[in-house]
Amino acid sequence: MSDVQVSNKAKWWKSADVKKTAILWVVITPIIGYVATEVQLRSIGAPASEVMASVKSLMGIFTWAASPVAGLVAALALTSLMGKRHYGDNPPPDADHEIRNSPRAAATWLVVSTLLCLFALITGLVVLQKDSESILDAKAININVTGQQWVWNFDYPESKGVRSEVLYLPVDRPVVFHITSKDVKHSFWVVQMGIKMDANPGYVTETAVTPNKIGVFDVRCAELCGLLHAYMQNKVHVVSQADYDAWLSNRAALEGAA
Amino acid sequence: MTTMMDRSASAPGQAAGKRPLIERLNIVTALVLGTVSAVVVWQLALRFLPETPETSLFFNREDKISLLSLIGWFVGFMTGIGALIGPFRWALGKDLNHDENMFLAGKDQGIKRYFRYTTDHKVVGIQYLVITIIILFVGGTLAMLIRTNLGHAQGGWIQPQTYNAIVGWHGIIMIVATIIMITGPFGNFIMPIMIGARDMAFPRLNALSFWLIVAAVPPVFISFFTGGITTGWSAYNPLASQAGLGMNGYIAFICIFAISTMVAGANITTTVVKMRAKGMTWNRTPIFIYGVVASVALALPAFPVFFLSQIMSGMDRAFATSFYNTAGGGSGWLYENLFWIMGHPEVYVILIPSVAALMEMAPVFTRRPLFSFNLAVMGIAGISGLSVLVWAHHMYISGWAPLLNAPFMLTTELISIPTGMLFLVLIGTLWRGRLWMTMPTASIYALLWNFMIGGITGIYLSDVPADAFLHGSMYVTAHFHYTLMGAGLTGALASLVFWFPKMTGRMFNKTLSWVSFWLVQIGFNVTFIGMFLVGLAGQPRRVESYAEVFSRGNLITTMGAYTIMAGMLVLLHGVISSWRSGVKAPMNPWQAKTLEWTVPNPVPLENFETLPVVTSDAYGYGKAKS
Ligand SMILES: [Cu+2]
Repeated sequence: MSDVQVSNKAKWWKSADVKKTAILWVVITPIIGYVATEVQLRSIGAPASEVMASVKSLMGIFTWAASPVAGLVAALALTSLMGKRHYGDNPPPDADHEIRNSPRAAATWLVVSTLLCLFALITGLVVLQKDSESILDAKAININVTGQQWVWNFDYPESKGVRSEVLYLPVDRPVVFHITSKDVKHSFWVVQMGIKMDANPGYVTETAVTPNKIGVFDVRCAELCGLLHAYMQNKVHVVSQADYDAWLSNRAALEGAA
Repeated sequence: MTTMMDRSASAPGQAAGKRPLIERLNIVTALVLGTVSAVVVWQLALRFLPETPETSLFFNREDKISLLSLIGWFVGFMTGIGALIGPFRWALGKDLNHDENMFLAGKDQGIKRYFRYTTDHKVVGIQYLVITIIILFVGGTLAMLIRTNLGHAQGGWIQPQTYNAIVGWHGIIMIVATIIMITGPFGNFIMPIMIGARDMAFPRLNALSFWLIVAAVPPVFISFFTGGITTGWSAYNPLASQAGLGMNGYIAFICIFAISTMVAGANITTTVVKMRAKGMTWNRTPIFIYGVVASVALALPAFPVFFLSQIMSGMDRAFATSFYNTAGGGSGWLYENLFWIMGHPEVYVILIPSVAALMEMAPVFTRRPLFSFNLAVMGIAGISGLSVLVWAHHMYISGWAPLLNAPFMLTTELISIPTGMLFLVLIGTLWRGRLWMTMPTASIYALLWNFMIGGITGIYLSDVPADAFLHGSMYVTAHFHYTLMGAGLTGALASLVFWFPKMTGRMFNKTLSWVSFWLVQIGFNVTFIGMFLVGLAGQPRRVESYAEVFSRGNLITTMGAYTIMAGMLVLLHGVISSWRSGVKAPMNPWQAKTLEWTVPNPVPLENFETLPVVTSDAYGYGKAKS
């Protein structure tokens, strides 16, 4: 096995191919980064919680971290495409070298990909840690979420047993959801708040969020749960504390009357 | 000899038996015996199985009957095709003689050998190719039904029940098609010749693995008409225990297919380890062989788990056990764990041979050596090793074990390192090559593009907080189509064009291969980029209708899907027309250096007149600068 050619070892960066690749890399990387981030962030829409905001920024960071790699692969691929091409039914003559490996390129590649991997891991762990602490918030409102084919029910145990199919939440107060199911597995997804947790029959799972924007958002089931899975969705109303209290006492009165 | 065989093969009512039994069994007798046996078992079960007490939660008498009938089908079909003759004769102490073995190998039988229990690896390879095409065709048609239904919001013209059944059916048969699409046709036809062997290590197991797949397919088709697989391909419990009788078809299908995969895995692994040509050291073994072995070896631990998970699912249905039933002390999480312990390695079962096949083609079409063979081997080994340790990233938000999320995130993201090695090998081989522009060459670029997108989106999904947003959405669907189809299928289609001359003796029509390449690749990217967009916007997967906001993205996706369909139909036309009347292929049309190109077309029964001796690896292209 022959190693890198001697001539290649001397001033490899002066070769025309390398220059071409370098220019392409510098041009392509920001394009990929910009287009991919823009497309993603626009599709996701405005976040309604800090959790969702950090998911968005995390995806932006990952995209920018990945775009030099994608850009380099694209630049190398394009350079190779711009070289000698041969069409026809018989093979072209052999390439004018027999490079079988390049310890330098391999080592660089391994080190960089390991670093990127560690970067992704650490960034993810930091956000994960922040998210999971919110479940322990003592001041949080507790809401029991029950999935059943094919509706969601929300119980407010701290407010005289109020039950509703539409979720109401006060803005800027932490909420902890205790989630379960009556029949099959469902998945409780508050889309614009970036939280999701499966509803399992016989078990209670937890997730938490602090909505930080007044408005109407979506709750959808994210786990195939039978015939009308597509219709297992409803709205979540995030309202001011005063409106929330009014809604709760209204509901409590209604249920008391019934 | 004839009389002796009739006596020992012991089939009932053989008065007119001129030809020995072994020569009379084929797919027709298999279908007949399978059907008869299914009907007989069904009727017997109807008559003799006791009624289920009315208190029983599920209708498990019907489940018992349908599972028993499916077992009846299976035993009848395998008997009818002749799978039992060998073991039976062996048990009697009268193993097959040379002539009978030659008959089983398909000697001098022309087209008929493709419809029999034939042991020749080349016949099995062609059989696998045809059944892969058939399954892909059915699965593709189902995909078009799904996409047509999702063409505009609310306007679904397929009933939810039928829609869910179509989604489940599409999912499971496409998974099976992609699992077998490389290791089946090319792993069987090409691999033994590539390593310089006369046949597989266990030729009869080879025939067995193929006919098991044929036996497995009818249950999944019938299940569509008995309630369907309405649970998606993952068939999560307790949804699956609630589903109709169609689920039994799924269970039978998976169990039979799992046996087939295990048999094929043991056979291929043994062949490669024991039967490589003289001088073919591991360093001289082509990279495609590594890909095939990694794929089937990964399936060896994975598929017994799948098998078991479905046996337990069937027992929950038929005997009201409670492996997965929380009320009875079980847990749906158990099913999820078992399913994904199979399910994640299975992704690499599909991907690795595809990438390896393109690595095999890269030096041929760049006329230079493969870049860093060692990194390629290490990448394949690294992915295989890690892939058995990542399954619970499918369960981040299941609530099963939140504390395990961080470690599974670690193992999952580590896979990007060996995957990066495979990218480096491909890109390094393209670097400063003399490009020979063929459809397989273009496929290498297409794979780099698609696999890059599939890989990077996989990093978002591996990240726990981002997955809490993305899980269960169309984003996931788009992501795994990018890996399994964008990377996996691209490699398989390139393999088809590349090895077509050796397998059929004719060249694949060049124009058709290019037309289909562009239609499929453009259509594919339009389809699944549209799907990424609606996923990011919050559309759940496996839904039969959706909110108005997702209309535009879904329309894009549906239009892309029709483009893919056009491309695949062009390809199908290319396969049929080139096979029937293509240009006759020379022995080595690509001037490649692996052993399969040193045997004539059509490949003789025993492949090599004298077994080859290997003195170097197959990548000695390029000339040194002097
Ligand atoms: Cu649901």
